[in-house]
Amino acid sequence: MFDPLKASQSIAASGLDVQSHRMRVIAENMANSQSTGTEPGSDPYARKTVVFSNVFDEMVGANLVNVDQIGTDPTPFRVERDPGHPAADENGHVKYPNVNILVEMGDMREANRSYEANLQMMKQARSMVMMTVDLLRSS
Amino acid sequence: MIDPVVSSVAKIGGTDSVRAGTETKASGEALAPGNDFTSVLAQMAVDAADTVKSAEAVSIAGIKGNASVQQVVESVMAAEQSLQTAVAIRDKVVAAYLEVSRMTI
Repeated sequence: MFDPLKASQSIAASGLDVQSHRMRVIAENMANSQSTGTEPGSDPYARKTVVFSNVFDEMVGANLVNVDQIGTDPTPFRVERDPGHPAADENGHVKYPNVNILVEMGDMREANRSYEANLQMMKQARSMVMMTVDLLRSS
Repeated sequence: MIDPVVSSVAKIGGTDSVRAGTETKASGEALAPGNDFTSVLAQMAVDAADTVKSAEAVSIAGIKGNASVQQVVESVMAAEQSLQTAVAIRDKVVAAYLEVSRMTI
């Protein structure tokens, strides 16, 4: 793709794609913020993280962003005392996921803003292309 | 290359068709010697139709749930842009030809 405006639209589209993947991971984290294990002492849901990376796309001829990997957060799990819980160990401790709803909310807002920014990029590039094509028409 | 209008359109068609790979490159070479108006217009129409077709395929995949909303919007927008460009260039070239044919001899 030798048209830089078309290329920037593709780049913005990759940004949209990546942010929607991020949104999916955040949704997973939020939904599983109370998911414990099933057997006594077993590990609960571990918070997932997204790693973005910069890759050169030959079709577009530019650097796009993509999801490099979806990893897990190594921070320790939250431990609560709840002897009646099926996942409680011999001391009555239950491990809860290391998901902090506030952090997830912040992440969600950031994903939303990035998405908006990429969308704006796309709109602008499109309007520049259309403005140029209109040059042919208005005669 | 007698007609400057046609040669300029051929240039536009040529650069546009480069990205589609070897197959369009061959047609670009075929355009160069003959350079006739109808084949240039036909090539433009084929290019635009190809983009619209791929957009259609992605749209159907999107409805079936196999493609993301972003992919559908991106391909439909690409199709719209190439179609608008093709239409604008066609209008311009046809207008130029009509202008020539209106010339009193």
